[in-house]
Amino acid sequence: MRILILLLFCLNITCVKADEIYNLLKIPNLEIFKLKSKNNIRYLNTNNDFKIGVDDNITCKKTKKINLNKKFPVIEKNLSLYNSNFLKKIQLKYIVLCEDLFISEINTGGIPDTQKRTLILDINFNQKYFERMIHHEIFHMIQSSHRNYFDEELFSNFNEPNFIYAECSTCSNRLNLDLYENTKGFLTEYSKSIPSEDMAEIFSFLMTNKSKMNEIIQKDNILKNKVELIKSGLSKIDNNIL
Amino acid sequence: MIKAVKASLSEKILFIFLICLGIFAFTSFFLLKNKCLSVKEVNLEKVNFPDPENIAIMNVECGNIVIELYPEISPNSVERFKTLINKGLYDGSAFYKVIKNTLVQAGDLEYGKKEYLDYSKIGSGKSKLGTLKSELNDDFEFTEGSVGFARSTEFNTEDSEFFITLREIPIYQGEYTPLGKVIYGLDILERIKTGNKAIYVLRPDFINSFKMLNAN
Repeated sequence: MRILILLLFCLNITCVKADEIYNLLKIPNLEIFKLKSKNNIRYLNTNNDFKIGVDDNITCKKTKKINLNKKFPVIEKNLSLYNSNFLKKIQLKYIVLCEDLFISEINTGGIPDTQKRTLILDINFNQKYFERMIHHEIFHMIQSSHRNYFDEELFSNFNEPNFIYAECSTCSNRLNLDLYENTKGFLTEYSKSIPSEDMAEIFSFLMTNKSKMNEIIQKDNILKNKVELIKSGLSKIDNNIL
Repeated sequence: MIKAVKASLSEKILFIFLICLGIFAFTSFFLLKNKCLSVKEVNLEKVNFPDPENIAIMNVECGNIVIELYPEISPNSVERFKTLINKGLYDGSAFYKVIKNTLVQAGDLEYGKKEYLDYSKIGSGKSKLGTLKSELNDDFEFTEGSVGFARSTEFNTEDSEFFITLREIPIYQGEYTPLGKVIYGLDILERIKTGNKAIYVLRPDFINSFKMLNAN
């Protein structure tokens, strides 16, 4: 009887996090920013800081109106490159906009979650790489939902035999996102971290600077093979993306 | 000899005022306690429903709620909903999840019935008919009075629980299987008991009966 009373009491004092967005995405403090778009992407804004994940290891701050108004057109322009059918296939429906996104105290541009069909984006991410970061994160959603099309072992075999990726994307100091002048199979230093980041880097350049990529792969056979594998995987999902 | 004392005018006014105050307090106590006061009751016999096959009548403490079902939008889900209604399985089901002015939810047939309410498991009960595939519709707008099949965080887990929106919830569009819309009795749903600062309701209100119109 005491346990029942205690249970009833606990039920009664449970804080009402019961807004309908929280019920869907399990991220608190969100509000609708833009609901209707041509490709059915829904944009949500953060009206207060939030912490989510295991031990609240993912943190992000509320957006400032001035930053949001500046960055939103850029985000929308880049996302408009994907049609609704493709987005459905890669399980992306919600874009959560916030500032200063951290995962386990490491700053990150975006966190994709195919299960919740959500991509959290840091609108404060380095301006220089901002647009490319959006596509980079989208690739992680593509790969996560179609892992068999992007075989990491096959992809890694394109590299020089003595090359070894790091154990994980944050286990190395290969973090620079600038394009190499002499690529030698890798577009950026970050490409050398793990295969999925390497793929995401290639995809992001394909989406933001296709002509430069075409120019690079004329001189870099390793990258040419990598690009072909990615294009082949993408064409199995949707022919109109690249 | 006792001398009669005449009340002054001010004493008379005070006396009348106190009587009026007493009457007002007494009637207010009973009127305010009656949550069903001023609810508009629909006379089902006077309404001509164009599609009576798809009209369901839910009776709760304050009256009848009339729901039009949309089998053309969600055929399998509406069929399941009708099956459960026709078997009388929703009778005595608790509105255990109520968010004030937002939505009411009922239909846990295992742990959310009047005769067996298990607060530790409510919301996880099964109908024993198995789960259904979500029938999502990107065009169906969850406006005030929309009826949808509830699910877990995963799609394709619809079973028996349903919710009714008390206001427009645009984010639900394309997220939940639509079942129908309330055509009469939305004000009755607004009187359903809400939780005190919680989404789960202790000592909740119940569905008295839930029937298809043709079954009456």
